Amino acid sequence: MDIDTAVVLAAGEGTRLRPLTRNRPKPMLPAGNRPILEHVFDALVEAGIEELVAVVGYKRDRVQNHFGPTYRDVPITYVTQHKQLGSGHALLQAREAVDDAVLVLNGDRLIDAETVSAVADTFAETGDPSLAVVERTETSRYGAVEMHGDHIENLVEKPRDGGYRLINAGVYAFSSDIFVEIEETPRKEGELALTDTLERLIDHDRVRGTEVDGMWVDATYPWDLLTVAREVLSRGRVVEAARSDGVWIADSARVHREAVLQGPVVVGQDCEVGPDAVIGPNTALGSNVTVRSNAVVQDSVIDADTRIDPGSTLVDTVTGQDVHLGASTVVPSGPADVQVGTRIFEEQRLGAVIADRARARGNVSFTPGSLVGPNARLGVGVTVRGNVAEGAEVTR
Amino acid sequence: MCGIIGCVGRGDETLDTLVHGLSKLEYRGYDSAGVAMSGERLSLCKQSGKIDDLRDALSKTSLSGEVGIGHTRWSTHGPPTDANSHPHQDCGGDVAVVHNGIIENYQRLRDELVAAGHTFTSDTDTEVVPHLIEDALAAGADPEAAFREAIDQLEGSYAIAAIVAGTETIFAARHDSPLVLGLGEGTTYLASDVPAFRDFTDQVVYLADGEFARLDASGWEVTDSDGTAVQKDVDTIEWDPEETGKSGYDHYMMKEIHEQPRALRQCLRERVDEMAGTVDLDDLGDLSPTGVQFVACGTSYHAALYGAQLFREAGIPAQAFLASEYATSVPPIGDALVVGVTQSGETADTLSALRAAEKRGARTLVVTNTVGSTAARECDHAFYIRAGPEIGVAASKTFSSQLAALNLLVLGMTNSDEAREVINALRELPGDLQRVLDESRAEEVAQMYQDAGAYFFIGRGLQFPVALEGALKMKEITYKHAEGFAAGELKHGPLALVTSETPVFAVVIGDDEKARKTVGNVKEVEARDAPVVAITDGQTDVHRYADHVLEIPETHERAAAVLANAHLQLLSYHTAAKLGRNIDKPRNLAKSVTVE
Repeated sequence: MDIDTAVVLAAGEGTRLRPLTRNRPKPMLPAGNRPILEHVFDALVEAGIEELVAVVGYKRDRVQNHFGPTYRDVPITYVTQHKQLGSGHALLQAREAVDDAVLVLNGDRLIDAETVSAVADTFAETGDPSLAVVERTETSRYGAVEMHGDHIENLVEKPRDGGYRLINAGVYAFSSDIFVEIEETPRKEGELALTDTLERLIDHDRVRGTEVDGMWVDATYPWDLLTVAREVLSRGRVVEAARSDGVWIADSARVHREAVLQGPVVVGQDCEVGPDAVIGPNTALGSNVTVRSNAVVQDSVIDADTRIDPGSTLVDTVTGQDVHLGASTVVPSGPADVQVGTRIFEEQRLGAVIADRARARGNVSFTPGSLVGPNARLGVGVTVRGNVAEGAEVTR
Repeated sequence: MCGIIGCVGRGDETLDTLVHGLSKLEYRGYDSAGVAMSGERLSLCKQSGKIDDLRDALSKTSLSGEVGIGHTRWSTHGPPTDANSHPHQDCGGDVAVVHNGIIENYQRLRDELVAAGHTFTSDTDTEVVPHLIEDALAAGADPEAAFREAIDQLEGSYAIAAIVAGTETIFAARHDSPLVLGLGEGTTYLASDVPAFRDFTDQVVYLADGEFARLDASGWEVTDSDGTAVQKDVDTIEWDPEETGKSGYDHYMMKEIHEQPRALRQCLRERVDEMAGTVDLDDLGDLSPTGVQFVACGTSYHAALYGAQLFREAGIPAQAFLASEYATSVPPIGDALVVGVTQSGETADTLSALRAAEKRGARTLVVTNTVGSTAARECDHAFYIRAGPEIGVAASKTFSSQLAALNLLVLGMTNSDEAREVINALRELPGDLQRVLDESRAEEVAQMYQDAGAYFFIGRGLQFPVALEGALKMKEITYKHAEGFAAGELKHGPLALVTSETPVFAVVIGDDEKARKTVGNVKEVEARDAPVVAITDGQTDVHRYADHVLEIPETHERAAAVLANAHLQLLSYHTAAKLGRNIDKPRNLAKSVTVE
């Protein structure tokens, strides 16, 4: 691979993932029990990238603090996008940190090293701006592309109608001319989207597409983190030590010998799992999570520092960091209608999404599809229905 | 309080390697720096100011050679001038010496040398060394013998490295000042501290007091004071030198403040077992002390005050002493365990206090961040806080990790009814601290009071050391007047200082007698029209008397101390940033104080 530098765009909040993005940007939300961005960096490092440039903005210290100056011995340069004015604007911030051809990626989507290499190779062969495309049955959330041979002919953002098969995977290779191209792209309502620049280049028939079939996973809404975790676990993309098939436990975790772990499941650093707790399948515990005796956690993503007290049951649940669920908390799964803003998502398989630092005293029940905001306080014996706002106190 | 470096075997890159190493040692002192290279003649460049000033000076001279030494200085003798910068030379210019430490008998040696016709060009104690070597060379000694002869005449503390024209060799010796060798492929380094060469090798050899080292193209040899070769263990350094990068933060201090949740996780890792309610103290064994005397300086002394209180709560008599006082007037020790608290493990005052205790037969333990440090090697036991490297001169994360480590120490050595409660609080501490970092409004408060004439901090019980540390941080990085008081002590004098221009920061935790009495003290202050900032978990009604509240989550008062302190760190940081201070390297201060 000729390109040795990658710019990763990690400045945006990812508002559709609220309320989980209250304290960190989407790239720092968990894919399994590691941040999405860590998986992106993995793919880049495995593809041979020698310099990482991270464009950070919203809650940037969470990114900087997590990775520090290097990732897997590859140095990281941080550049700040102070106002989130689009992906093109974000990339422009990295101009000073880049002096040659670069890979450009979104920091909030899981990809693998093969995809990175494929795009870099296409660029190396042609010298033209190149991007990865993946096949998807559902294209309406993404940028659909039309190709002729290996040329991209059209880019359609969030197409209303069907008839598209391929989408832009958000993995690009550019020469350093891209910065000039972005500058010459007219802003739309003050914003500068990378795709607007791409469209200009497509008009000059200069953009190559490389169809890839590797991992490509995106979380659009909070409950998508459950699918992401399944994908990550099924591919074994975890760093903890494998204890048996599909069961990974960090060396520093303490799991009681009477606890039951049903793979695929990963237990992060410093976790404590009490006697007769049942964890898994398809469950990821972040670092320093405590699951006490007789608790059941299934098909769930439990983020760092969260405590689940005795006798609780959680199914299809996503928690943020430092959530405390008192004894006998019950979150059953359902097909449920979930309300995000004014939209209703029907028939979602979701127990609950419980954001950072929410506290449930004992014996709290959740109706399936509930969304609980950060720092919410749920009193003893409360039944949570639907959405609870940030910092709200709910008593019976 | 200086840093030295040496390098043999890097060919044309020798000079760059030395300057790079000095930049990594800059935390040890930074009012002047210099390098000397050996060949048929010595060449030398030194400059007052920062390493960048040295780089500028080097760009205007041509230094070459494949063997070199360097130095970054923090003044102890004489002002920071070019002349007082190291390396120092003899009259003939054939010897160059760098030195960290203090030569106590330098005045007598200097008088003798001057009487014998030597000319001195600086005010430093170090300059006697090259002249002593020159004398011995003139008397016919070979360079190595001349170096040993000179060292034999010195009293005091030193890590010294010397080069002599015409020899491609570095001679080094240590006594009471740190010195470590780094072993690369075909290259050997020496330095006051590992970061100087950590980018090039992770293989190190620590020199002991009284040992000499010779570095040349063929390798290295360590000998004792009689010249007999010493077999040395080669250690492998595991930490990542890149942790010394700022990673997008404006200052190391801010990076280190934000690293605290992770540092705490590392401190607690595999040591606490919440299910069993137990603490495992690595391999400290059964120390079960009947009494404890802490010795420490600065921020570590505040941690020691906190630790002593924990031991007392567990029924074990314990006191904290300022190490510099303890060393020169040692109290009766009896059977007490003497515990040094020092981030670097090289703090001269603390080492000196520990040595004084050891001399009296006391058992010693050090709570430190630095594996392989002098304190870790000299004490009977070492307990590591595992905070990772701290570059900012003002201690931040290491204080939090010291408090956590002291909790572990006390839990591991005593039986407490509260053990489960404390362990629970410790395991919640990383998450709670992240919350404080995410939600703190300290910056707004800093903005409000950045022009205040003085800052006062009050607290009771475990929050008293927090008040002292809050004030020390404020002094260190903002250069403003700040004092910490035991809350009840305010009315016995300091209240006279309190005016509407002096904000008072009160740490009020819980709802017990201590908290209620502190609220009473807050009312006294409020009655004098002083602005009050309460750092509180909200269990009392202190918010009614406070102009601003910095909130922490409810937890055990031991963990609350760490959380309250985090607000105060941010307060000092933001105040200093608004005042444009040199936050990572405050004037007149150095990270690791290796002189008494």
